Amino acid sequence: MNFLNKFLLSLVLLPARFYERLGVNVFHLRSILTVKLMMDDRRPNTFQQARQKKKEKPVSSATLGTMLLTGLLGSFFLIGFFVGKNYVTHLTFYFALFIFMLASTLITDFTSVLIDVRDNYIILPKPVSDRTVVVARLLHITIHISKLVLPMSLPGIIFVWIKYNAWGSLVLLIMILLATLLTIFLINALYIFILRVTTPQKFQSVISYFQIIFAILIYGSYQVVPQMVDKVSLKGYDISASKWIWLAPPYWFAGGWQLLAGKDFQPEWLLALIISFAVPIFSVWIVVKYFAPSFNQKLSQISGSSSETTAIKKGSIARPAASPYVNGLAKIFTRNGAERMAFLFCWKMTGRSKDFKMKVYPGFGYLLVYAVVLIYNSHRFTFYSLHEQTREGKILLISILYFSSFMLIMAIAQISFSDKYKAAWIYFVTPINPPGQLLTGAFLSVLIKFYLPILVLIAIPAISIIGPSVIPNLLLGLCNQVLISSLIAYVNLKQLPFSVSQSNAKKSGAFIRGAFTLMIPATIGLVHYLLYSFTWVILLLAALSLTATWLVMGTIRKTSWQKITAGYEEL
Amino acid sequence: MSEHCMYNHPIMEPVISLRNVFKNYGDKQVLKGINIDIYSGQVIGYIGPNGAGKSTTVKILCGLINDYDGDVSIKGINLKTEPQKAKGLVGYVPESAELYDVLTPMEFLSFMANLYSMNENAARERIIKMMSAFGMEANINQRMDTFSKGMKQKVLITSGLLHNPDIIILDEPLSGLDANSVIIIKELISKLAKEGKTIFYCSHMMDVVEKVSDRIVLINDGKVVADGSFEELKQQQGNFSLERIFAGITGKEGIDNAAEELIRAFD
Repeated sequence: MNFLNKFLLSLVLLPARFYERLGVNVFHLRSILTVKLMMDDRRPNTFQQARQKKKEKPVSSATLGTMLLTGLLGSFFLIGFFVGKNYVTHLTFYFALFIFMLASTLITDFTSVLIDVRDNYIILPKPVSDRTVVVARLLHITIHISKLVLPMSLPGIIFVWIKYNAWGSLVLLIMILLATLLTIFLINALYIFILRVTTPQKFQSVISYFQIIFAILIYGSYQVVPQMVDKVSLKGYDISASKWIWLAPPYWFAGGWQLLAGKDFQPEWLLALIISFAVPIFSVWIVVKYFAPSFNQKLSQISGSSSETTAIKKGSIARPAASPYVNGLAKIFTRNGAERMAFLFCWKMTGRSKDFKMKVYPGFGYLLVYAVVLIYNSHRFTFYSLHEQTREGKILLISILYFSSFMLIMAIAQISFSDKYKAAWIYFVTPINPPGQLLTGAFLSVLIKFYLPILVLIAIPAISIIGPSVIPNLLLGLCNQVLISSLIAYVNLKQLPFSVSQSNAKKSGAFIRGAFTLMIPATIGLVHYLLYSFTWVILLLAALSLTATWLVMGTIRKTSWQKITAGYEEL
Repeated sequence: MSEHCMYNHPIMEPVISLRNVFKNYGDKQVLKGINIDIYSGQVIGYIGPNGAGKSTTVKILCGLINDYDGDVSIKGINLKTEPQKAKGLVGYVPESAELYDVLTPMEFLSFMANLYSMNENAARERIIKMMSAFGMEANINQRMDTFSKGMKQKVLITSGLLHNPDIIILDEPLSGLDANSVIIIKELISKLAKEGKTIFYCSHMMDVVEKVSDRIVLINDGKVVADGSFEELKQQQGNFSLERIFAGITGKEGIDNAAEELIRAFD
């Protein structure tokens, strides 16, 4: 255990007498907390997980690493101090960022770190009183959250100390603690809500959707916030101008600070101060009184082996494996046999595998954000320019068209990977020949699933704004996307769908390959732009592109076992 | 099963006693009045098909479930009113290798010893002795996340025996163990029983239950449907293996047909 955990542990155990009076066995309490903190230290944190290293050395002192990174994140909140003309406005933004980031961290941590179902088998059968277990859990949560909140708030506190004074930073700390309580309440309420509307079994996947949304929002804010700060108009901005701001909790905490630290004794700040104390304390009372009891019980079901889950629904045998329209698509686009099997398999896996969704969906979101920023920033963009096919209009259409396949390309890059890669033995024990059929099936599945909707999304507005004259160019653009992605599949898709562990991903040359992957659509897009007005050439090229795609697909389909097995280190 | 006079020990107090135990999950009744008295030094083979209520019984005995109806007492201590005292007498080896695998065996087992309020030095010594007996002295300070299932199982068995409990509840303890370790555990069970320990052995492996236990309790659909030594069961049900007897009592439409149907599916 590192010094930090030791320090925090002795800190929370200071009121040992008080715990004893509550009926807690302090010796047990210390043992449980020691072990829990030790385990936290060895659990790879989000950042270490993202790197997905091969097992090099066991994780230790994960806490320190996480805290450092959290501190870095906290300095990002300082951006709030550059928005607006007064401290209330600064701090409202600061608290908004703080609450948002804390919530997004806690939402993922709460179940994985704090509710460990193994406790049921390991601690509960032991002669430990319930009260000790409850207090241990509460203290563990406290330590966990303070490990997040302290580094996260440190840059802000130092900043206020320097720019304002020591008293100001102390008040800020108090306000941050209150904001933390409110955030915990919000997370609790969200959990309760999710548990109400879904079953505990589906809980994890709902949470992972929230994670995806948070990731996208964070990415979006990285794109948008610096630009906002740049705008001179924001410098003179006063958030109090709008009365609606009273609905935003960050404003209360900022107002409370204004009264205590700014010594600005206006009645509205007094009201803000009262609210900023009353609401968090009231919400904590609600959590303890109403949420906590049923909450723990329900949470323990999340990954628990409750007997109800195993009950098999009668008559489920007769149900078709996939919805009829997916089967219809499979019949249209794939050949009978292994290819169709791979198509349907990938369709289901991409929809159900949490692993896949977590890797690909945030990417979709990032691109969406990027596209919005792109369009927002191209000031000359008007419907007129698009309709009249001016230079800007052409560029916009071409860039949207050639941009649209990036999502598909990302999905192709992920299709080989899975947590359950060991289940891929099915490919190797069955007499499939050539295995290329599996690759084309997987490719077509991703193509239809992740590109067809985008195609519709582009084609309908394009045709309705510009008119039928756009069709040849649209056709060439779309054919080229399919061609590009099939080429990428030909180059990159060397392993069967969902058959490789993510940690075995080849890292070397990934950057070069990534850059190359970006270059192809950019180059083809440029050529397309230059030829834009030559309708017949465009149509001819579209036909050529389609033929080329056909040939590439044929080549992939013929991929032999020799080539496939070369991609696996061991079978 | 009151007609079994063999287990009516008039002088001895039962070590574990379950009286009219009912348990519902929602509106589904899992245990429908379980009555078992277990005496010191017995090895109870507790068997039953999936979903019969086996693991629910085990969870009640370990104090994991306390919203049941009826009385459960361990050495005369009521599990509902004095759970801590009762839990201290029981050692539990859970089924599915549930342990904190980022810890080392030493850390994990010391933690267990702490929860049983054992003396730390004595516990340390005992941990080293027991792990060495399992041939794991070299692994004692390695993190368990790289351990095989059998190694984890050995750590769990150690954690269940560490505080020298009078009652040991084993839930499928042989899963994942290699043949040599199986022999060790089987011998260990009979030695522990000779020392007067009571063992509650829960398993699907009929051949092992048949050999290790001196009393077999078979439950089906939340009720005790057979209770007695293997010899007694044979007298009642015919001279078959335990597997056959089990199938005869619990098999719903006859498992012979199942194999037949599987073969016919090819036609």
